[in-house]
Amino acid sequence: MTTLHAVDVLLDDTLLTLNRAVGVLRRRNLAVEQFAVHPCGSAGAARMTFVLNTDAATADRVVQQFHKIVGVRAVEVTTTRDPITEEQP
Amino acid sequence: MSGAHILCRTLAEAGVDVLFGYPGGAIMPFYHALPETPSLRHILVRHEQAAAHAADGYARASGRVGVCVATSGPGATNLVTGLATAHMDSSPVVAITGQVSRPMIGRDAFQETDIIGITLPITKKSYLVQDAAELADVVRDAIAVAQQGRPGPVLIDVPKDVQNQKVEYQPADDPRAAARGQSLTVGGSPGILEEDIRRAADLIAAAQRPLLMVGHGVILANAYAEVRALAERTGMPVITTLLGISAFPEGHPLHLGMPGMHGEVLVNRAIQRADLIVAIGLRFDDRVTGNLAAFAPRAQIVHVDLDRSEIGRNVPTAIGIVGDAADVTGRLVTATQPRSCEAWRAEIEAGRRPRDASFSGGMSPEAILAAIHDATGGVCTIVTDVGQHQMWVAKLFPYRRPNTHITSGGLGTMGFAVPAAMGVHLARPQETVWAISGDGGFQMNMAEMATMVQEGLTVKLGIFNNGYLGMVRQWQQFFHGKRYSSTPIWSPDYVKLAEAYGIPGYRVQRASELADAVGQANAAPGPTLVEFVIEQEANVFPMIPPGGSLAEPIEAAV
Repeated sequence: MTTLHAVDVLLDDTLLTLNRAVGVLRRRNLAVEQFAVHPCGSAGAARMTFVLNTDAATADRVVQQFHKIVGVRAVEVTTTRDPITEEQP
Repeated sequence: MSGAHILCRTLAEAGVDVLFGYPGGAIMPFYHALPETPSLRHILVRHEQAAAHAADGYARASGRVGVCVATSGPGATNLVTGLATAHMDSSPVVAITGQVSRPMIGRDAFQETDIIGITLPITKKSYLVQDAAELADVVRDAIAVAQQGRPGPVLIDVPKDVQNQKVEYQPADDPRAAARGQSLTVGGSPGILEEDIRRAADLIAAAQRPLLMVGHGVILANAYAEVRALAERTGMPVITTLLGISAFPEGHPLHLGMPGMHGEVLVNRAIQRADLIVAIGLRFDDRVTGNLAAFAPRAQIVHVDLDRSEIGRNVPTAIGIVGDAADVTGRLVTATQPRSCEAWRAEIEAGRRPRDASFSGGMSPEAILAAIHDATGGVCTIVTDVGQHQMWVAKLFPYRRPNTHITSGGLGTMGFAVPAAMGVHLARPQETVWAISGDGGFQMNMAEMATMVQEGLTVKLGIFNNGYLGMVRQWQQFFHGKRYSSTPIWSPDYVKLAEAYGIPGYRVQRASELADAVGQANAAPGPTLVEFVIEQEANVFPMIPPGGSLAEPIEAAV
């Protein structure tokens, strides 16, 4: 059964690491519904958040793939219906 | 000290002794500095692809990093196939590429290419060095990353002006970081749950039809003794994947053979009947499983792998254990009780039948490989290319010594064998090394014969010549109505070609000539070449059709 999975990745804030992380999404042919990259509280680190509409097993495999990337510090996945809320002006 | 001198010094301090490469404009400062570090032997290949394969072969045979060097642009892009091969087969390769000078990057300069962008999906990590002051630490980090955890290729792109930049050399903070062949993550496999080990042992004790399936991870971890101990303690029959061949001695009473698309019927049938598969250091590649939905329908699977992302990726697992194959297998040996699987082994053996002779005439793969075995006394490393000959060697040569079968598994790279064998020879200079190719794959990288002659590399070249791209022709025969589109392939006169390169060449057309020719080629000093003229339309049997079930092999020509 597919559901929305929000994957939150804490990773080095370098273009090569970010590029490699995005490449995993592209290479695994995953349907990404929402995507955001933003700075986080820690110096030298960025947070990449994306939402997949997929089954739990696929979401878990994505988490494991991200764990393999050199420069990824932490990966968390949560199941939710509306994981990213846009800030209102 | 210039960036180029720092590169050389750091490599030498890390224990690197051989580089495979090809000079060019953007890497010239490095080559200018190289002769000042005589401990670095440079092997001038004839094509950068060969440099990457040779570094890969060196890494697989030595267990240490292999290093290749190329210039920017076409030099760097020519490395790509070799890096992808190393990535798929978890081989620790460090590639160093020259890049155009920093002010020129992004201007489509002469011989500029974004090699980091091109190789992102096939490297563990890559570096564009912007300051020579970073270079020493980058090299140390690259060597460590290539070997840590699941090994793989790493690329260091060094702009030409960074190679010329003068900075002070920074010694390593952590001497271990520079120690080649030493992982920084020593001390077992953190996170292994003893509960999982105990549960796996319980499954092994309870199983009626257990199998032990071992792959490349066993070779990478040097887990031969542990795997053999586990097999002998539990009586589990042992299956070796293509890259797991030589991880367990052929001829051992518990050894069954290779599974999958060209695995023996006996082996695949055992998988389909098994109620437990203990899989160590393998990834359940589609060439092993066939149709996943029909793979091992009765079996629970215990999957041991260093890479967490492989657990459960292709097949559902009852127990997944993330860790080093030697460490985990050793713990399993301790946790299991001695048992035997006599009834199960008898059931498997009852299905054994003589292999059908798929060859007419005497020049069969069996006869050829027996001649190589006789000439070498079985003491040699065989590097194979990709195709029919690869399967024949995998199935028919009796490998009894660890890590003596080296091939391109995951990527299936034709042209791999000849250059990779050069790296194997340099890693094991006392070992007899045979590079066995088909007539197609050999012609892809046969220019490396010149490298062998110039550098004095003793590699014995065997060519299975059937005048076809044999495996593709076999697929055309089975699945494309025998339309042999673009698979007949002309070859030069290989004996004359060998002569042109100044090495002995032999052509064998009859089985009666095999012993003499192979014996002479094996005994002669330096590189030699033997062309085996085999039946044109022979096939590799059995064969599971792509996407088919292991239970439905093709066993005869259609």
